Amino acid sequence: MRTPDDVDLEDEIRSHLELSIRERIERGEDPQSARRAALEEFGSIAAARDSMHRVWYSRWFDAALLLFQEIRIGLRSLLRTRGLAITVIVTLALGIGANAAIFSVVRSVLLRPLVNRDADRLLYIRQTAPGIGTENLTFSMPEIGDLESRVKSISAFGDFSSLDFTLVGFGMEPRVVTAGVVNGSFFDVMGLRPVLGRLINSGDDGPKAAPVVVLTHRFWTTELHSDPAVVGKVIRLGPGNATVVGVLEPSVPYPTETQVIANVVTSPHHLSATMQKERWHRMTDLFGRLAPGATLEGARAELKAVHASMVHAHPESYSARDRVGIEVKTLRDQIAAPAHTILLLLVAAAAIVFVIACSNVANLILARSVRRESELAVRAALGASRGALRRTLLAESLVLCVAGAALGLLLARPLVAVAARYAARFSVRALEARVDGSVLWLGAGLAVVAAVLLGYVPRLPSFDRSNALNPAAGGIRITPGTNRRLKIFAATQIACSFLLLVGAGMLVATLNAMSTANTAYDMRQVLAVDVPPPAPGAGGEATDHFFQEAMRRIAVLPGVDGVASGMVVPWRDEFRHTKIQFGFEGYQPVSGEEDPTCMFRPVSPRFFAVLGVPIVAGRDFTDGDRPDTEPVAIVSQSVAQRLFPRGEALNRHLWLDGGFEPSRRRIVGVVADVDDENVVQVPTMTVYVPWWQLGEPSRLFVRAAADPYALVPAVTRTLHDLSADQAVERPATLADVRTQVLTPQRLNAFVFSAFGGIALLIAVVGVAGVLAFSVGARTREFGIRLAVGCEPRQLRARVLREGTVIAAAGILVGGLGGIALAWLAGRLFGVAQMPGVLPIAGAAALLVAAAILASLLPAVRASHVDVIQALRSE
Amino acid sequence: MTKTPDDPRLDLLQGTLDMLILRTLQWGPRHGHGIGQEIRRQSEELLRVETGSLYPALHRLVKRGWLKSEWGVSEANQRAKFYRLTPSGRAQLVREQDRWSQLVRAIGRIMNPAPATEE
Repeated sequence: MRTPDDVDLEDEIRSHLELSIRERIERGEDPQSARRAALEEFGSIAAARDSMHRVWYSRWFDAALLLFQEIRIGLRSLLRTRGLAITVIVTLALGIGANAAIFSVVRSVLLRPLVNRDADRLLYIRQTAPGIGTENLTFSMPEIGDLESRVKSISAFGDFSSLDFTLVGFGMEPRVVTAGVVNGSFFDVMGLRPVLGRLINSGDDGPKAAPVVVLTHRFWTTELHSDPAVVGKVIRLGPGNATVVGVLEPSVPYPTETQVIANVVTSPHHLSATMQKERWHRMTDLFGRLAPGATLEGARAELKAVHASMVHAHPESYSARDRVGIEVKTLRDQIAAPAHTILLLLVAAAAIVFVIACSNVANLILARSVRRESELAVRAALGASRGALRRTLLAESLVLCVAGAALGLLLARPLVAVAARYAARFSVRALEARVDGSVLWLGAGLAVVAAVLLGYVPRLPSFDRSNALNPAAGGIRITPGTNRRLKIFAATQIACSFLLLVGAGMLVATLNAMSTANTAYDMRQVLAVDVPPPAPGAGGEATDHFFQEAMRRIAVLPGVDGVASGMVVPWRDEFRHTKIQFGFEGYQPVSGEEDPTCMFRPVSPRFFAVLGVPIVAGRDFTDGDRPDTEPVAIVSQSVAQRLFPRGEALNRHLWLDGGFEPSRRRIVGVVADVDDENVVQVPTMTVYVPWWQLGEPSRLFVRAAADPYALVPAVTRTLHDLSADQAVERPATLADVRTQVLTPQRLNAFVFSAFGGIALLIAVVGVAGVLAFSVGARTREFGIRLAVGCEPRQLRARVLREGTVIAAAGILVGGLGGIALAWLAGRLFGVAQMPGVLPIAGAAALLVAAAILASLLPAVRASHVDVIQALRSE
Repeated sequence: MTKTPDDPRLDLLQGTLDMLILRTLQWGPRHGHGIGQEIRRQSEELLRVETGSLYPALHRLVKRGWLKSEWGVSEANQRAKFYRLTPSGRAQLVREQDRWSQLVRAIGRIMNPAPATEE
């Protein structure tokens, strides 16, 4: 059945009337009166048509149709002003896209629940030491034992520590994996389930249990291609074998991402006396589950009390200066906490971009509506109601905003990828961020908000009849009110852009300082390679010999200028226990002060030569510094100068505090300071010892004559010739290590610069648009000015001045706003970092320059006004 | 098809008009004007159908599938839209007729009660 349209309905009425007239004529009436009678009999044609129409179409359909028509008209009129439409759509797309992307990340980090069972009762407990600036000291096994036996409001504790092991098996090359080592109640406390096999349980505790491992979901899917036959396989993990018993469900890896999770017996280190007995040996993260009926506050109070009495009972292990304490949070909050500030920043940046985008679009639409005021006035005079006019405006802004939102959501996908990678540094959960349905809703919501706002920005023409139709309204008339509004919008954009640019400038300045900072190392020619022992503590003499032999063989490879080894690749390796207190012969700490803390770095002979660190005094280690010869040490210049200001450091003796070593070491050399922890170097007290005497090598440094990376295959082959199962990983020059380390800063700077750039772009378009419009609207004024002898140059200056004033006002407001924001941030988070002069001045200069650039074209146009044309135009 | 009780358009009068239209078309297709004239003639000028009600009614019946419409040429060689009954329209006519006679009977009993039930 075909639905009749209105033409069809009218045809039918006409044919009815014709039949009726014909009948009357046949009955003998004259055509004229027959026609009149037929029409009279029929009644209202329009009413009949409408009632037939209503049979087929509902009222809603008609309303939608009307809006659709308006939209079509709007579309057509926007096509005529294509430049404006594209500007508006792109501007909105940037605003909406940025918000959608940030929202996705915020949602996945802060709002989505964890997969863990009953996650509200899952706690993360950490030990803090504010005295030495440590937020998370982690725990030692004796400490965990104390808490476990005395805290009643936590029903079960799960402990987790991670170690790197070499994994051999699954038909893969030997590779280093990070393994979580957990106790039997860990998975129960975490509330996680296996997707395959079983997890580690209480039966796997203790030194007598069989070694077992559980694979993490990511490792299983990405490296083993979700092999269902993996359970029951035996792999070599570090020094021993272990059986795969299951695969863990996908879950947030915390505190660190691991490939496998093993029971305690798998790790010789965990069975050692040091791990079991020493209170200072902290490397374990602690989780807990609230006992039934217990609250987080109750558990916190009890933990604090038990911890305080524990500290009191062992004064030798807890220095008063460290101020060791305990803190507890739900795991969910713990994971989200570091991301809060940065996400808030991102949300603020995205919101600012949206404000800029909206005020820019408002400007463009306002300008356009002033230009079409006469069109609206004509429509009003022809009987269009206010509602109808408003509907026209609304339909147009709806078209613009929906198009903007659609484009914005397309943009959101790549933006989410960037933002997620960025936020992942603060919370692993950011990696779960996806563009999904809820983001579509957000985009649609923002579009509607923008559309309604923008639909109401323009004023409707006055409905005062005497004034409605001004026959002279051929040109554009601009009221002071409209002009002021335009300028306020433009200044708002400048203010917002200023804030973002200063922020971006700060980050770029930091990044720049970091990547150009002078390090004492020779950055380009030195290749660093990880050559880890199969498991920590599994080295011993075999490792020593392996390294001696490897260095001897690599040194004679063609293209190699020198080889050394150590334990730490600068910036890349993080060693928690390398800061040690030393006693120095002839140095008496001021009373109340403790022995100085220094970095502790076991290295091989020629380490300083290979890395390019100058030896200031004394000698390097040599192959003659053997385990059975005199214990020696080399100190950094800071040690020598701070502790022995009169330059008598050489040949003094030093010793490690805590009685790790019975003998004293003679200082045989002083080297330049190098800071291998911070990219921006700070004076560092470092003590070097030969690893042959103390320590265990795991990193190789090769100085290349030419391209360091060309040496990688030969070095790897040499190492594999010595031991086929030896993992050889992450070869990189020190310069590249620094680049990698700076990736987060780079990303930081990139994200904010992107926001700042978007803002700047939008603001420039905004200022240019406002001035172009204002110039266009004042053609007559300029004509008169020119006619009375004003120089074109003066007119140009006038317009440029207007642009500069807008920019200056915006910068002023932005600056005040920035101060307020920084103050607020300081109050709320205690992290108020005031930008330096350079970013502020730079941002201001950039904006003023941009504003001048943006006003150049309108200024030129103003000075080229044709006087006669201008005067005639109204 | 039965009437839905809450459809205000289908009150008695309207229902009657639908029935009359269906009945008129029983012997063949007619155009709208012809239907109106036929009802008038058959009722001996007692019933006069307003065109304002006739055409919406026709369209309603088409929409329900009881009538089919198509453009054709009248006996006087004029273009007109013709309506004819569909099979389901025919069935509906039978139903309407039954219902009508029941209604007439019921109202007849009330208005002219049988003497046996009189007190």
